[in-house]
Amino acid sequence: MSGTISKTIEVPVVDGESERYSLRMGPQHPATHGVLRVDLELDGETIMECNPQVGYLHRGFEKLAESKTYAQALILTDRLDYIAAMSNNIGYCVAVEKLLAVSVPERAQYIRTIVGEMSRLCSHLLWLATHALDIGAMTVFLYCFREREILLDLFEELCGARLTFSYPRIGGVRQDVSRYFVDELQRFLDMFPAKMEEYETLIDTNRIWLKRTVGVGKLSGAEALGLGLTGACLRGSGVDYDIRKHQPYDAYDKVEFEVPLATEGDIYARYRCRMEEMLQSVHIIQQCIDQLPPGPIVGPDAPDLVMPFKAPARVEADAAAFGGGLIKLVRDQKLYISGDVYVATEVPKGELGFYFISDGNNRPYRMHIRSPSFIHIGALKAICKGELIADLIANIGSLDVVLGESDR
Amino acid sequence: MYVQYKPKRGLLGTIFQVEILQGMALTLKRLFSKPITRQYPDVKPVIRPGFRGQHALVRDPETGDSKCIGCMRCAMACPSRCIRIRSHKGKEPGAKRKIDCYRIESLRCVYCGYCEEVCPVNAIVLTEVYEYGSYDRPSLYFTREQLLANWDRFVEEKGADMENYVNPFWRPRGLAEADLPAPKRLSVSAEWRGEEQVVGRKWQQQQAAQQD
Repeated sequence: MSGTISKTIEVPVVDGESERYSLRMGPQHPATHGVLRVDLELDGETIMECNPQVGYLHRGFEKLAESKTYAQALILTDRLDYIAAMSNNIGYCVAVEKLLAVSVPERAQYIRTIVGEMSRLCSHLLWLATHALDIGAMTVFLYCFREREILLDLFEELCGARLTFSYPRIGGVRQDVSRYFVDELQRFLDMFPAKMEEYETLIDTNRIWLKRTVGVGKLSGAEALGLGLTGACLRGSGVDYDIRKHQPYDAYDKVEFEVPLATEGDIYARYRCRMEEMLQSVHIIQQCIDQLPPGPIVGPDAPDLVMPFKAPARVEADAAAFGGGLIKLVRDQKLYISGDVYVATEVPKGELGFYFISDGNNRPYRMHIRSPSFIHIGALKAICKGELIADLIANIGSLDVVLGESDR
Repeated sequence: MYVQYKPKRGLLGTIFQVEILQGMALTLKRLFSKPITRQYPDVKPVIRPGFRGQHALVRDPETGDSKCIGCMRCAMACPSRCIRIRSHKGKEPGAKRKIDCYRIESLRCVYCGYCEEVCPVNAIVLTEVYEYGSYDRPSLYFTREQLLANWDRFVEEKGADMENYVNPFWRPRGLAEADLPAPKRLSVSAEWRGEEQVVGRKWQQQQAAQQD
């Protein structure tokens, strides 16, 4: 499969010769969903060349993580994809647990699956809101934020934050779910499919929406694979790839769900896939609530939040006086396993992978993040060549990029 | 599973613009329902307990001072390294560690709540106060006195029943008592202690079926 796309560009020539000119879109353009700059080479309204420029939001997380313990570096992942922070947290924790061979109790796995899917709903709702706003449907924007607010309130109840959750911890989660949380979530789940129908009434068959999306930004399955796309962008092109299904983590192997696919590979196909994914998320959360087992929420071998390099004698004596437990330290000299691991999880945007090298220290020797947004922005160049400048906006929205994750 | 790609729209629907009329009808219906927008400065949102807001040092009602013992665990756990503690130990035998300086740079803080979770004596707390913006930086570099005053303000705002206040991060919800040091074993409800956990309906049915 080749990753190159050859398109013949037909420029409508009016009155003799055409003139090429360059235009810089962004980084302050509201439709770029953050600080993305796109250097465009235009001929009239046709894009001849499209070079996305990233890096305006670079904060050096990969380097910064090397100076933080594993527990501390968790909070950096909140700020990767800040509209689905919970998914990043979970992806990070799953990776570190695999690296340090920490087990997660079953209840914590179910809770993580619930909050991970809630995070997917949050992210897809915000995507639908902004994508529809970019193409010109203002009402959907407001309706989506109405439902997203309920989810954010639930997150606030659960972990005390609405945006930067830091909710999972290595070896479990930090707080158990309360009765109030489960009841409110159940109410939301009962109500949400009806709201989905509202969005679909507004845009699904709307002729303006169809004009802007059907047949625009087309990608075949081979092209999408070659460009390294993941998530709904890949599934919209007909490639059946979902890490939740094919390499299950947490409780995804214990619940039933389907992976929505479409073969057309245009913006409308991706839109339909994401809408269907939202319904599947509701389905997954419902099953998790029904199957939620009792038990501990933190594993017995979970490291303390203060991750010491080695257990000093004085603290060990203190811990014994305090009764061990959460303040307990692993009493071996060599506390952490050395080695390297790559673990990928399915976040709303696609495949989020964490690659760690550990040298037995309490902090990663190297952390690499394979962020879906970065790779999706790279695909913009291939998708937009030869399309109209108005479709660039629709394409950026459809790829669902978040610049915090891309630049990290 | 393949999604339904092409929505059905008949010829009549296209001619009479039925889908646009349906959308209009939906928005028109919403016009008469109650608005859900909160007019923020006038109407304050309901903050859930355990919200991670402004920092405070808990004032011990017995001594009138902070509970901090200077163990440095919060400073060690802090990801943004915004806590600074200086302490000294008295010369006489059995003397307690005295805190000379306890500072939190709230502008650097990421509000993760690690400090309150690792504190063995529940001395530090992220209160539910969220409106403390300022025009100058020094007022946001909280000193020990400011942090104690923050607690007083929180107690005042919260009103009665602060005797039994337990922050969800002091005693993480659902953690077994044996996993906690003695000062963190605060008295909370059975659900909070993890004894009456919320369990799924299907799980209960399975258990009942197994017992039969």
